[in-house]
Amino acid sequence: MGVGFVVGVFGVLILAHAAYSTIQYRSLLKIMQEEFAGPPFNVAIELVLGLVLSMWAALTVPGKFLSINPESEENRIVSLPANLDFMVFNHRGKLFSQQLDLKLKH
Amino acid sequence: MVSKAEEAELNRLETQVDNGGGGAWEYLSLVRKLKVRRSHKVLNYGLSILNDSRKRSSLGQEEWTLYEQVAIAALDCQAIDVAKDCIKVLQKKFPQSNRVGRLEAMLLEAKELWAEAEKAYASFLEENPCDQIVHKRRVALAKSQGNIAVAIEWLNKYLETFMADHDAWRELAELYVSLQMYKQAVFCYEELILSQPTVPLYHLAYADVLYTLGGLENLQTAKKYYASTIDLSGGKNTRALFGVCLCTSAIAQLTRGRNREDKEGPELQSLAATALEKDYMQRAPHKLSLLSSVLKSLKVSP
Repeated sequence: MGVGFVVGVFGVLILAHAAYSTIQYRSLLKIMQEEFAGPPFNVAIELVLGLVLSMWAALTVPGKFLSINPESEENRIVSLPANLDFMVFNHRGKLFSQQLDLKLKH
Repeated sequence: MVSKAEEAELNRLETQVDNGGGGAWEYLSLVRKLKVRRSHKVLNYGLSILNDSRKRSSLGQEEWTLYEQVAIAALDCQAIDVAKDCIKVLQKKFPQSNRVGRLEAMLLEAKELWAEAEKAYASFLEENPCDQIVHKRRVALAKSQGNIAVAIEWLNKYLETFMADHDAWRELAELYVSLQMYKQAVFCYEELILSQPTVPLYHLAYADVLYTLGGLENLQTAKKYYASTIDLSGGKNTRALFGVCLCTSAIAQLTRGRNREDKEGPELQSLAATALEKDYMQRAPHKLSLLSSVLKSLKVSP
């Protein structure tokens, strides 16, 4: 959590810095009266770096990935629930004498 | 549905609680969530929570859920007195409640006062004809009296209205199987597979019934459904692996002498046999010789 979160914040900061530099570059172009063709090379590198860092953080910080395959070890269905709505009480279990003197004490 | 991870969690909590390690409430919640039938343990541990006033009050609103759970478990264990006390407490807290009324009718069932229970359920249905649980209890009532035919009739009537209730379809299928009415059971399992196509156990049950019915066409379908069970369960279902082997040998016996047009090829059964042997080697090595003699007699050995 700790490292991933810090990296994520750093990535977002880099992205913000890239945006800020682009805006500055454009205002500079306006003063020089030139057309804006694209951000400068170092800003593009900054963008890619920020993207990679924030993407890595977004994939690691929230938690582990779970399998969605029905046959995977976690999702594999091994038994059906007992059909409790159709539960029947006069089964053979009552023939076993239970030496329980359970009582609700209130 | 109980998945492998949930089953492991349940077993872990169960041993923990059995050995006095605490976590009884978590265990009871998991039992409720997974809808497994552990009445004896629920009765023991639930009652020990309910009898401890400090633990009981720490549950807050969940306390009443626990009373209900313990009451049903007590009915299942024939501890009528405990059930009666729990229901009395609930009755005091929620007078006029249908849910408590249902519990009282279930108490009548457990005491085998069939006519009174039937009367109680009928009056509930008059009040609220769409109460699914009461409809189901009525089916169970007929079943516990041994009137399977009547139970099937009720259940069919119920399913005409509530067609999406897959638990009811499963119950109907099991009732039909118990009466050996396999054709009808096949229909129910088809319905189940349609509504929940990713549950391997329905495929397995369907294949089992088809295999029991017999006949070349049914056997071939059964083999396909055993194969789909293997697919959906990641090859961990021993019954399905055996099913493939049995179907193959039965089909081979039926088509002996005729010119065989085996579309599937012989790989499926030999793969199943290999998987079986591997599984036995891991979990029960001393029974491996038994398995290989069975496979040899089925003529599907890898």
